[in-house]
Amino acid sequence: MQTMLKSVGAPAPEQFKQLIARRAQVIKTFKEELIHRLNLPYSPEDLHEDVSLLGSGLGLDSLDALEIVLCIESCFKIKIPDGDIAVLRSINTVVDHVIEQQDRKGGRA
Amino acid sequence: MRTSSLKDRLAAAGAVFRERHGTEVVSRFADPRAECGAVRDAVGLTDFSFVRVYSLPEEKGIDFLDARLAGNVPKIRFGRVLHTFLADREGYLAADCYVANNDREFIFICESILPDGGLDALLAAGAGESAVEDLTANHVVLSLDGFKSWEVVKKVFGPDVLGLPYLSIENHTFEGEPVRFLRAGKTSEFGYLLIAPVKVAPSLFDILNSEIQQRGGRLCGVDAHDNLRLEGRFFNIHAEGLRVRDPLPLGLQWMIDFDKENFSGCAAIKQRRAGGLKKKIVGIEAAPGCDALKDGARIFHEDREVAEIVASGRSFVLNQPLALALFPVELAYSGLQFRLGAPGGPVVKSISMPPIMPKSLTVKLDEM
Repeated sequence: MQTMLKSVGAPAPEQFKQLIARRAQVIKTFKEELIHRLNLPYSPEDLHEDVSLLGSGLGLDSLDALEIVLCIESCFKIKIPDGDIAVLRSINTVVDHVIEQQDRKGGRA
Repeated sequence: MRTSSLKDRLAAAGAVFRERHGTEVVSRFADPRAECGAVRDAVGLTDFSFVRVYSLPEEKGIDFLDARLAGNVPKIRFGRVLHTFLADREGYLAADCYVANNDREFIFICESILPDGGLDALLAAGAGESAVEDLTANHVVLSLDGFKSWEVVKKVFGPDVLGLPYLSIENHTFEGEPVRFLRAGKTSEFGYLLIAPVKVAPSLFDILNSEIQQRGGRLCGVDAHDNLRLEGRFFNIHAEGLRVRDPLPLGLQWMIDFDKENFSGCAAIKQRRAGGLKKKIVGIEAAPGCDALKDGARIFHEDREVAEIVASGRSFVLNQPLALALFPVELAYSGLQFRLGAPGGPVVKSISMPPIMPKSLTVKLDEM
């Protein structure tokens, strides 16, 4: 999990914008589907990307967790490994997993 | 200044004290690294008597608390605990709160950034007949946190306590006295809050301390909890809460029932929400040796200052500095690289939180 930060040059402005645009799109898709499927009383803007999905935070239960897995798999056409609750800790950890899997599928890993 | 009734015992165990918002707290006992390690790998015992604890009769407590707190108090089911907050009239944070529906009473626990007098004034304002009983002076609050905390509570209170779900309350007894027992905590490991009468506090503290020591645990101070909360991405009212105060950029919308027509600060919070979110906090990591990731430090993108650090600490699991920074929403994404302190300063990166996987999430108690 640890990232060793190297003092490399900043990414090109265009690359920086692309990183944001791609992540923003995955977040938007996931939040909208999450709110719809779980009938959450929030707007997408209300859901901070680091909010805990299970336990504290949104306080979703194990049935909701199953719904989240189905939501990810149908929206992004990727699999969540059985029992891999680490992915479901927050919206951001879900989005990290989606982007990583999409990169692998696209041969960019 | 309010002090804990366990002060003599804590001092004898090597506690280093400091003042926080008019209350004396244990800053640390030893090295915060060792205390954090105890919680992640074993169990930590912390005196949480700095919180304010109230009991309200059920019939009056619902209206009183619901008129003040951002969360929906009538919806709390019997035996469950709601995590929410108390704001001032301008909609800025005053206290991080647990509200427990405990049979015929509501237990209300406040971790406040206001001195006691300020909190009392805020609670006194507004509608509803209170009948509030302040338990703070004649009770202690002990927090047991960590991977092995369930072993300790099982030994002291019996195996029934293990079935308690997260954010629940039960009543137990210790030496014939009632102990309110919450399954809670803000470290991302197993956690329990015990509210015990002062009469039995010393003996309860001694037995818990003995049990944690037998399991490689340690007494902990609030400095360790500041790091554990940051690392587990639990809201810390004493860190980012104190610096930002506005619950919306802090991402605390999940603590608010926006359908409620009134609570303390309701109108101001709803008005700011309607105006759209302008900033929000994002996790930041720096290289292990970077010592500039401190509260108030500035973050740069290209030659522009774009964010400010509002909470900082160290992850002893990852062995690197961590922080939360307040970014404009258009840059508030993880996976981006910035510079710290100046356009040519050290590289820092925005990250997804929480950055660690706590051991407790890998354990199933019913399989032990």
